[in-house]
Amino acid sequence: MSDTTIRNNASFEEADKNVVAYREAAERGDAPILPSERLWGFWEFTYANSALAIATWAFLIGGSVGLFVGPKEGIAAIIIGNIVGVVLTALATTCMTGRYGVEQFVALRSQFGYNGTRLVYVLAVVVLTMGWLAVLAMMFGRSIDGLIALSDGGQASPTGAKMMIAAILAILVTWFVVAKGPTSIKFFNMVISPALVILMGVMLYLILSKHSFGELMTLPALDPPFEDKHLNFIIAVEVNLAAGFSWWPYIGNLARLTKNERTAFWPNILGIFGAAALGEIVGLLAAVALGESDPTIWMTKIAGPAVGVIALLFVAFANMTSMANILYTSIVGLRQVGTESVRRIPWGAILFLFCLIPLGLVVFYPQMYDGFFIFLVWTSALNSALAGIGIADYFFLRGQKLDMRKLHAPQENGAYRFAGGFNPIGLIALAIGFGVYVWIFNPQTLASVSVFKFVTASVPSCLVAGTVHYVLSRLFATGKGWGDYPQG
Amino acid sequence: MSSQDIGWQGELDRRARVYEDIEAGQRWEGTMTRLDYAAIVALTVVLVVAFWIWGA
Repeated sequence: MSDTTIRNNASFEEADKNVVAYREAAERGDAPILPSERLWGFWEFTYANSALAIATWAFLIGGSVGLFVGPKEGIAAIIIGNIVGVVLTALATTCMTGRYGVEQFVALRSQFGYNGTRLVYVLAVVVLTMGWLAVLAMMFGRSIDGLIALSDGGQASPTGAKMMIAAILAILVTWFVVAKGPTSIKFFNMVISPALVILMGVMLYLILSKHSFGELMTLPALDPPFEDKHLNFIIAVEVNLAAGFSWWPYIGNLARLTKNERTAFWPNILGIFGAAALGEIVGLLAAVALGESDPTIWMTKIAGPAVGVIALLFVAFANMTSMANILYTSIVGLRQVGTESVRRIPWGAILFLFCLIPLGLVVFYPQMYDGFFIFLVWTSALNSALAGIGIADYFFLRGQKLDMRKLHAPQENGAYRFAGGFNPIGLIALAIGFGVYVWIFNPQTLASVSVFKFVTASVPSCLVAGTVHYVLSRLFATGKGWGDYPQG
Repeated sequence: MSSQDIGWQGELDRRARVYEDIEAGQRWEGTMTRLDYAAIVALTVVLVVAFWIWGA
């Protein structure tokens, strides 16, 4: 073999390695994924979305709805809140990531600037994920505590030492699994999701074998906070709007793997909306039928100890899978938006640092679990405004056109530098949207102004944030040369 | 700049050009149309109104 041939063969091998490396880098978010590289068709994405949505949090949210309203109002609140929340969130995120294959937080540079995006990431993703990690770990802990109580005939202690130790172990095991990489996560997903569907079906069958659908619809709410039934209903709608908007940090980056824009959008309606609504409805019916909003408790009552033990073991395992998924996704994103010093932190170390606050919440604030819907509603104050800004920016200011070259170029002197990397307009709109939300409905105290009963809080927050972003951008951004917006 | 960095910049440039070419030639496939947006608005309104009347 001549020297030229050897050199050519070596060049081809290196070129092949580069092709693979570049594609993997694109999948990690460092570059847009090309149309030819997309993975998922319509049904594959629907399945992936359903797997994400049918998680134990759906039972938890459904049970929370049962605190405020009975099953009939609860089903209505679940459908109304989730469809509006999921549609607005999907419009704001999946359309642009599905069209361009762009990583969601890279695309967000066009809305908030490269530093503003980092701030949004910390507020919307890091805080949300840390909260969910803590809640899911506590749910795991309560499942184990309930399981032990069922097995030895003792009393469950939902905030006791057994719960805490199990919850801490859940976080540490999740850290260990995610530190190994995504392969083990993919395996668990393939097993857990179909099994959760089966569990849901079994629970529904058990509930309907004891109560007719008509009887279930007449059952009262478990613990309504107000005498005003309409107010309780709107709060239930608001909790479900929050559930719908809580997908904002996650679905954009799943959608970028789909074949085109339409495939990126519509499966969210079947998968995220449809599957989550179904899971919540099962949680709601079980909660009101069994008189307990916490799934780790009603599962022990539904059909005796044997079924209870299996269901709880399963819920515990399913929780860890959800924890691994959201921890992995969050840290991948954090390394994407983070500075060079963040990217230099070893993978296992950054994962562990991320777990410290959830560990602290488990130890010092275990009562967070029982009021977890308060945490969920607080996040909607941010996510609804983010969705409004995303829709205004992408659809109305940019006419659905993003510049891949400028989004991936060095940002310091680039098109999206705005003011020191922050888009003041986007951040002002976000703050105003958040403020409007909290003024209309206080997530902590559940106090509200009269207009809340007619328009909720998430919808005005979304509309106001989007409108403020649009108007201020039109008035000021072009004149200052900010954001590379199209003229006119 | 190392040869790896140059290679990566070239790759980013190539990927951006793919999308610029699609945009210039209006060769987007599977984009959301007015019908899609009308359908999702209609679906949302129907579900909200129907379940509000039924359950609220």
